[in-house]
Amino acid sequence: MSTRSNYETGSDRSIGIDAERLAGRSFDYQHDLSLVEDVDLLAATPGGDINWLEDVTLLVEDGVPAVFDRYSNSFLKIYFPIPAGREDEIARKVLVKHLQSGNSYGIALKERHAKFPQPELGPWVAGSRTVGEDWAPPGPPEGWESPGH
Amino acid sequence: MDSVVGERGLTYDARGLAEPDAVAPKVAEIDGDRASFDATGLSTRQINLELRRLLYEGGVEHVTVRNPGAKHSLGVGILRRCSIHFEGSLGYFGLGIIDGPEVTVTGRVGWSVCENMMSGVVVVEHNAGSLTGAALRGGDLVIRGDVGARTGIDQKGGTILVGGNAGLLTGFMMQRGRQIICGDTGPGLGDSMYDGAIYVGGKVANLGIDCVEEELSEADLEVLDRKLGMYGFDQPSSGFRKFVCGKVLYNYDSLEPAERKLIL
Repeated sequence: MSTRSNYETGSDRSIGIDAERLAGRSFDYQHDLSLVEDVDLLAATPGGDINWLEDVTLLVEDGVPAVFDRYSNSFLKIYFPIPAGREDEIARKVLVKHLQSGNSYGIALKERHAKFPQPELGPWVAGSRTVGEDWAPPGPPEGWESPGH
Repeated sequence: MDSVVGERGLTYDARGLAEPDAVAPKVAEIDGDRASFDATGLSTRQINLELRRLLYEGGVEHVTVRNPGAKHSLGVGILRRCSIHFEGSLGYFGLGIIDGPEVTVTGRVGWSVCENMMSGVVVVEHNAGSLTGAALRGGDLVIRGDVGARTGIDQKGGTILVGGNAGLLTGFMMQRGRQIICGDTGPGLGDSMYDGAIYVGGKVANLGIDCVEEELSEADLEVLDRKLGMYGFDQPSSGFRKFVCGKVLYNYDSLEPAERKLIL
C-alpha cells in the first residue's frame, strides 16, 4: 500500500472527496500512529460512552483505510499501519484529532459562512473562539451590473 | 366573553417568524458556571437567544429553563458541550440540529424532537410525538414514555431508546444507528429501512417492507446492556428481538460515491 497521499503525489484519479484535497495539505496524524494514541475518546464525547463515535468505523476509500468526516462530507485517509483489532478505535482517534485540531474543512467553512455566532470548534474543544458574529449576505458577483429594470 | 385559551392566548408568533430583530432578554440568574431563567412571557426566539448568550458568551456550562410552556423549536442549534435542563414540556422541533449538549426535559415533547441531532444526550421523562429523532445523525435520544409514528425516520446514526411503546412505521427508511424499543411497536416496523438495527422488547404488530428478524449477537447484547444500564431501564422479561434490513430491495453497492456519503 502506498504511504503517500494523493495530495502529495499529485494524483487526481480519486473520484471521491478527499479531506486533504479540501484542506490543500496532508496532516501529520494521518501518517503517525503515535500522534493519535493519547486521544481520549470518552472525554471527547458527551454522555457515559463514546456517543456518536459508536457509528464511526474504519472504511476504505480509493483502496486506502479511511475514516469519514461527516462535518466536511469527505474521507480522511490513514497511511500508517493499523494494529489488528484496533481498526475502529484508531479511525475514531484520527477523526477526533482532525476535528480537535480545527483541520476539518467544515470548520473552515464556518469562518466564512456561519450566519449566527457559534464556537468555531463546536463540541470538540472547550472555549474555542466564536465565529459567525459578523455575517452579511454576499453581494453581487464582481463585474455584475443591474439590468436596470 | 370568549376565554383566551390556546393560540388565541399567545401574545407573540409561536412559530418564531415575526422577530427578526429580537435580542437576548438577559433575564437569567447566573451563579458561577450555572444559570437559570423563567421562560414565562418570553418568545421562542428570546429563549433561544438567552440560551446562546449564556452558553456561547457567558461562560455558563449548565442552564435551567423554567416554564418553557411547550413552545416550539426551543434549544435548537446548540453546538457545544454543556447541560440544559428544561423544567416542563417542549413543542415541536425542539432540540433540533444540536451537537454536544446533554439535555433533560421533565415533561413531554412534540413532534420531531432532536431532528438532525449530531451528538449529545437528550433524556425526555415522559412522551414524545411523531417523527422522534428524525434524521438523527448521532448521540443518544432517550424517551422514557411512549413515542408516536415514524420514530427515527431517515435515521443516519445514534441511538433512540424508548421506555414505552412506539407507533406505526417505526424506523421508516432508517439508514444507520439503532433503536431500542422496550415496549410494543405499531404496524410497519422498519419499513424500507436500509441499515441499522431495531431492538424490540414487546410485541410487534407487523413488519414493514424488507424488514426481517435476526438473531441477537454478543455485540448486540453488550449494546443493550450498556445503554439500558446507563439510563436506568430494566430488561424486558421476554428479552429483546432484533430487526434489520432484509436487503431484498438493497441497492447500496451500486450507489455513486457521492450518494454513498449522504448516508455515512
